[in-house]
Amino acid sequence: MQQLWLIPALPFLGFLLNGIFGRKLPKSVVTLIAVASVLLSFGWVMKVFMTAGDLGATPVTEHYFTWIRSGQFQVGWDFTVDKLTMIMLMIVTGIGSLIHIYSIGYMAHEEGYYRFFAYLNLFMFFMLDLVLAANYLILFVGWEGVGLCSYLLIGFYFVKKSATTAGNKAFIVNRIGDFGFSLAMFLIVVNFGTLDFTQVFSAAPGKPTGTLTAIALLLLLGACGKSAQIPLYVWLPDAMEGPTPVSALIHAATMVTAGVYMCTRSAAIFTHAAVAMETVAIIGLATAVFAATIGLLQNDIKKVYAYSTVSQLGYMFLGVGVGAFSAGIWHLMTHAFFKALLFLGAGSVIHACHGEQDMRHMGGLWKYAKVTGVTLACASLAISGFPYTSGFFSKDAILGAAYAHAPWMYWVGVVTAGMTAFYVWRAFWMSFTGEYKGHGHPHESPWSMLGPLVVLAVLSLGGGFLFNVPKILDSMFPIAEGAENMNLTYISVAFGLIGIALSYYMYVVNTKVPERLAASLSGLYNLVYNKYFVDEIYDATVVNPVITGSTTVLWHGVDQGVIDGIVNGVGTESKSIGGVLKLLQSGNIRSYATWVVLGAVALLIVMGVTAMGWASGLGPAGVGR
Amino acid sequence: MNLLDLVIAIPGIGFILTLLIPRKQDQAIRMATLGFSLLTFALSLGLATGYRFGQPGQQFVTDIIWIANPEIHWHVGIDGLSLWLIILSTFLTPIAILISWRYIKDRTKEFFAFLLLLEFGLVGVFSAWDLFLFYVFWEVVLVPMYFLIGIWGHDRRIYAAVKFFLYTMAGSVLMLVAIIFVYNRAGTFDYAAILNSLASGKVVLSHGEETLLFLAFFVAFAIKVPLFPLHTWLPDAHVEAPSAGSLMLASVMLKMGTYGLVRFCLPMFPTASRENAPWIVVLAIVGIVYGALVAMAQPNMKKLVAYSSVSHLGFVVLGIFSFTQMGLDGAVYQMLNHGISTGALFILVGFMYERRHSLEIADYGGVATAAPWLSTIFLITTLASIGLPMLNNFVGEFLVLQGTAQANFSWTVFAAIGVILSACYMLWMYQRVFFGELGDEVKHHMPDFSAREWACMIPLVVMMVWMGIYTQTFLPAVTEANLKILDQTKSTAPLRVSLPAGLSTGGGHIHVR
Amino acid sequence: MFAELAPASFAPSSADLQRFAPEIVLTIAGTLLMVLDPLFAKRYPKMFGHLSIVALLVAVGGTVCAYSVQGSAFSNLLVVDGFGTFFRFLVLAIGILTVLASYRYLDLEKAETGEYHALILFAIVGQCLMVAANDLIMIFIGLEISSIATYILAGYLRTDRRNNEAALKYFLLGSFATAFLLYGVALIYGVTATTKLDEIRTVLSTPGNVPAFGMVGVAAALMFVGLAFKVSGAPFQVWTPDVYQGAPAPVSAFLATGPKAAAFAIFLRIFLTAFQQIAAQWEPIVWISALMSMTIGNFAALTQDNLKRMLAYSSIAHAGYVLVALASRSEIGTAAAMFYLAAYALMNIGAFAVVIHLGGKGERHLKISDLAGLGRRQPVTAAMLTIFLLSLIGVPLTGGFFGKFYIFRAALESNLVWLTVLGLLNSAVAAYYYLRLLVVMYMYEPGEVANNIEPLTPGLRAALILPAIGTIFLGVLPGAVLNFAQRSTIFGAR
Repeated sequence: MQQLWLIPALPFLGFLLNGIFGRKLPKSVVTLIAVASVLLSFGWVMKVFMTAGDLGATPVTEHYFTWIRSGQFQVGWDFTVDKLTMIMLMIVTGIGSLIHIYSIGYMAHEEGYYRFFAYLNLFMFFMLDLVLAANYLILFVGWEGVGLCSYLLIGFYFVKKSATTAGNKAFIVNRIGDFGFSLAMFLIVVNFGTLDFTQVFSAAPGKPTGTLTAIALLLLLGACGKSAQIPLYVWLPDAMEGPTPVSALIHAATMVTAGVYMCTRSAAIFTHAAVAMETVAIIGLATAVFAATIGLLQNDIKKVYAYSTVSQLGYMFLGVGVGAFSAGIWHLMTHAFFKALLFLGAGSVIHACHGEQDMRHMGGLWKYAKVTGVTLACASLAISGFPYTSGFFSKDAILGAAYAHAPWMYWVGVVTAGMTAFYVWRAFWMSFTGEYKGHGHPHESPWSMLGPLVVLAVLSLGGGFLFNVPKILDSMFPIAEGAENMNLTYISVAFGLIGIALSYYMYVVNTKVPERLAASLSGLYNLVYNKYFVDEIYDATVVNPVITGSTTVLWHGVDQGVIDGIVNGVGTESKSIGGVLKLLQSGNIRSYATWVVLGAVALLIVMGVTAMGWASGLGPAGVGR
Repeated sequence: MNLLDLVIAIPGIGFILTLLIPRKQDQAIRMATLGFSLLTFALSLGLATGYRFGQPGQQFVTDIIWIANPEIHWHVGIDGLSLWLIILSTFLTPIAILISWRYIKDRTKEFFAFLLLLEFGLVGVFSAWDLFLFYVFWEVVLVPMYFLIGIWGHDRRIYAAVKFFLYTMAGSVLMLVAIIFVYNRAGTFDYAAILNSLASGKVVLSHGEETLLFLAFFVAFAIKVPLFPLHTWLPDAHVEAPSAGSLMLASVMLKMGTYGLVRFCLPMFPTASRENAPWIVVLAIVGIVYGALVAMAQPNMKKLVAYSSVSHLGFVVLGIFSFTQMGLDGAVYQMLNHGISTGALFILVGFMYERRHSLEIADYGGVATAAPWLSTIFLITTLASIGLPMLNNFVGEFLVLQGTAQANFSWTVFAAIGVILSACYMLWMYQRVFFGELGDEVKHHMPDFSAREWACMIPLVVMMVWMGIYTQTFLPAVTEANLKILDQTKSTAPLRVSLPAGLSTGGGHIHVR
Repeated sequence: MFAELAPASFAPSSADLQRFAPEIVLTIAGTLLMVLDPLFAKRYPKMFGHLSIVALLVAVGGTVCAYSVQGSAFSNLLVVDGFGTFFRFLVLAIGILTVLASYRYLDLEKAETGEYHALILFAIVGQCLMVAANDLIMIFIGLEISSIATYILAGYLRTDRRNNEAALKYFLLGSFATAFLLYGVALIYGVTATTKLDEIRTVLSTPGNVPAFGMVGVAAALMFVGLAFKVSGAPFQVWTPDVYQGAPAPVSAFLATGPKAAAFAIFLRIFLTAFQQIAAQWEPIVWISALMSMTIGNFAALTQDNLKRMLAYSSIAHAGYVLVALASRSEIGTAAAMFYLAAYALMNIGAFAVVIHLGGKGERHLKISDLAGLGRRQPVTAAMLTIFLLSLIGVPLTGGFFGKFYIFRAALESNLVWLTVLGLLNSAVAAYYYLRLLVVMYMYEPGEVANNIEPLTPGLRAALILPAIGTIFLGVLPGAVLNFAQRSTIFGAR
């Protein structure tokens, strides 16, 4: 037994302690509990890594107790570790620890300090559960759980309506994804009779393609919700309402990549459903380019990175879709490094500018916040795919695989890469060069925040060398043979450099250009600047019709109008019948007597009729009982 | 005179004794009723511990003649189906008494006495094994609830109470006809005997008769559930009832309907049940979505929760008429879950009403700032009721939908929409009530939990988590009972529910470790 | 059978007298009261009540010893069987409860107590005679004794306009309807040359006189008119609301129970013994009449706001239920009818007792709204009324429920499925107007009526609590009564 349960259990303990007693405890203790719990679970991950031996061959699975048993179906609280899990565990606990540390400084002066860390620990718990799960239902537990934490943390400043609304949006959009996920689970049980990964995946090849495709597509719907892919990406940009460390941890490094992880985990199903794979690739690519274009024009520094996240996730899906699962995971990891860094850096910048997030009110920060500047530069280089930074390797792997699958995908990908480079550096120039246009006096952040930045900077630059994911995962996902085509690499790098150069020209050398472009292409500009009005469209086509419909048609109409109308109608009707019957009571004796006579006559007639029927035929014996 | 008889009798005795306490002695009355209910609960736990698995038929049986002519028996007993429903009733009654502790100042004696009478009826309904006895308890429950709503309710209480009574009455008279009819055929009210003679073919019902009898029972139960479109008494009853009333109504009384479906409709009229399943399932699904959508439109917290019940109970009916083990297990489990989580919601809304004297969502906002613990518990309950994993409802909904998927996958697709919608209406309500700026009105009238309120909530929250994480405490008994009921329904007629091709391998194989 | 008539002995045997005991006791008591009236009326008004209760109790004893020597008396004019005895007990009990309920009323109205009680006793004599009669003439005499007494009682307060009107209506319509009954008797005699029920039965069941049957049918119809009138079954119920509303409250209570029970007794006896052979002919009539009575009674009651009038309509509806039992033409049907009449008598007198209590002097407070808040001011009274109302609705653990249950069970056994369904749906409708009383009583704030209501007097308390106990008893342990009823059904008698 590796006691895998300890890994999520430790943060959960932290959550309980801080959640229940946090309000009473001094900040220092809260911090200790929170950070220690995560560091310990990181330590335990390392311990497992050291002692577990070659996970590639023999994944470690542990069964704790049966969760649900009904008839022949049964599902247990099972955790499992293989190489894929191990990578995810390290990313989650590692980055998680860094961000916890960072938060000490960042949240120092916030209300509900303990609440923040409690939520953060709870998130770690669910995320680790998600990664460790040995069957779909346990994975779903983490899946929903991280969604919950994201909801709680987005709405952390719950007095702000925009924040809580964003929280709801995130949760509900994710629910739509989970709708798909759960349907997929139902189909799996119906066809496989179990939810255990090992059994499902071993049985998968034998199943009809149609079924597998259905399952895969439904899983994809779930992934689209969690990993903010078209058409369900809308919640992620709004999610930036949450504190910046949250954006870094949940909405960049870990949770949003759960979709990619889940698809990779389900590779056995996907690889036998070509249609689904194609869909994954196309959705990924579309999202990548679509989000990138929006990213070009955002002025809120966090929004820029948010759309960049959506776009990068698109890359990962592209990787998965074209069958380069390991490349996808690789990019997942490198992205975790540099995107976490970007957000934390952004946080530091915002911190420096006293909470200002609009880059038009920044600028010239270089001379105030050099460390932040340098680290951000590293991250920006990495994401632009600058040679031999972490991003370079992973993106290259994905694009290579894409080219092998279908060249046009490669080209779209490359163009996107260029845009990516442009908007990240645009953000960098806008905030660090030129004159400071903000209020107050900017300042560098404390080392508790800068420390993690530096670590992440190192990882962003060297992550590619340090961990060659495809090699590690070779046993699970053999790397496709085929000569490395260096030209492809040169092209993508070139696009990246062009992007950087262009942004430098437009935002440092000749800052008039952007306005002029905006003016000349105002139509397109507005369309993109307003994010293609997608939110507005959703509201108009889905949200509002549902709400108004259920109010006016269903509630007032059907419920109160029709059904209760009938029910109360019966009441009033019977009363009015009673009213009519009352008229019989004229109170006048003569009319009463008439009634009696009429009644008697009526009776005699009835009698007569029956007597006739009786006389003709059936004798007395036939009548008596 | 075994344990079960005691569990039934004590509330009844308590009811009478409470009536004998002089009207002035409010505190004594509260204490006495609380004592009786706690005693009942303690004893009912004995039922769970004493329950023997794998033992066929009922347990804790008492079967003595009550009325010689026609032969009516005091025949009570429990199986896995009744067991947890009984415990649910005995578990919630003390809580119902506690939440009314301060709130009820007028005619205390009658109020608390009625709660005991209600418990008496409820436990009876779930343990009766004699059709006539069942009907008696069924009606007995009606009376105290009628008064609880009508006397201690809010403004439109009378309309609500009468509507509640007549709706139910209309249903139950039909059931009475059916019961008498069955009696005249089978010559006994003893349920087990009736089932035997039906199974053995000693009593044969024509197709038409079976359908009509099924419908007679079904309507009575469907009204109690309530199944769309027979649900309109529920919102009124809930909104007008005092919290204790809403609690018992939502948590236990609605289950009388679903319990009846499982216990009587399916085994007695297997063919009819299966033949009518399609349209019933449609109604259930409509109810799920419809209830959720209407809940979304509610400006009043209690009404919102009430409509959410319509939606949740839709899942239960769906599960029952999926005729699959998982569906049935899920349905029964969902009965319990709904009892816990929706009950908790009504209690919490009641607490807030006691503070702010309003049920309108618009009158709240920022409560999270004023009463963090209340908000936290409310959040947990909300999450439970929207089916978050590791909390109770998830298990029920999962099993129900899984079972339905095995019967007919397209049903599941529609039903699962309800899960999305539940998140919408609950979270929107939560946002509007608890988040946002703290208004003065709320600020000054929103103290956090008192010790008594904690005492009410902690057990419920514990149950939510327990039933969500470790279902093995509860499910095995349920599964056992359902297995029996399922093969009783198999006894005749092939399955009419259409199975889509390729999904027929449902259930799969036991997977062993 | 004619043989035993030949040596007509004019000195009745002691057994005959014993079988006649209750009637004798009550007649003597009644006359005694009339004699004592002028002497003591002023000084001890209550005395007559006490005396009549004693008399009734003695009569109960008489009934018992009559029952101990079952058989026919006075050359088969009377027959003391279980059936008759059941109803004798019933009417005597009704008498006692009526007297108890009357004390306060007579006191308030400063009414003559002597005559009043004498009349009650005479009415009961008539009813005892009816229920034990085996001869149409005898039945007619009993009916008339009872009727004439009740005609007078209905108008007992000579000065009260409502009383007079009620009495007049009751008298005119009553005698009108009795005429039909007499025609029926005459026709029967014409066809069968006898007025003895058992002999009629034998005549009708001997084949070979087919042409006569049409005539018998007509006779049955005519007698049905007369009897349906007495039990206020539709379509001959029209008089009921006016009379019940107009008559003094205690008398209404008596009318709604005593004469009705007795009339139903002979109804059952005649139609289930004498006319059993031609059941196929009269069953449809009973079927229709039953349905009409239930429906008219319940629906009309929905809109009443005068308590007495509402109870009048409800009594029509309940007559309908009993007719259902008659329509089922079976042993258990008869037993059910007997049980139901007992339960009905208890809950109805109880309800009327509350009305008397509430009405106060001159019966001023008879509006349903006058009950407002009674539940607060007089919890006990309210609780009792609640029991009676629940029983009238037919909620389990009350006599009313078992009554309904037995009746509809019998109906279903005779395949009267639709009548059953309609009947039970009717009882759901009925629930509405009974609930209204509960609503007003418990859910409204006390009005000035409830606030100034006087405490319960001993008589009324007894008249409330005894029926309440009875109702609950019949609801929890109906076995005893039902068994007696079932053992003593005349169905297919002798």
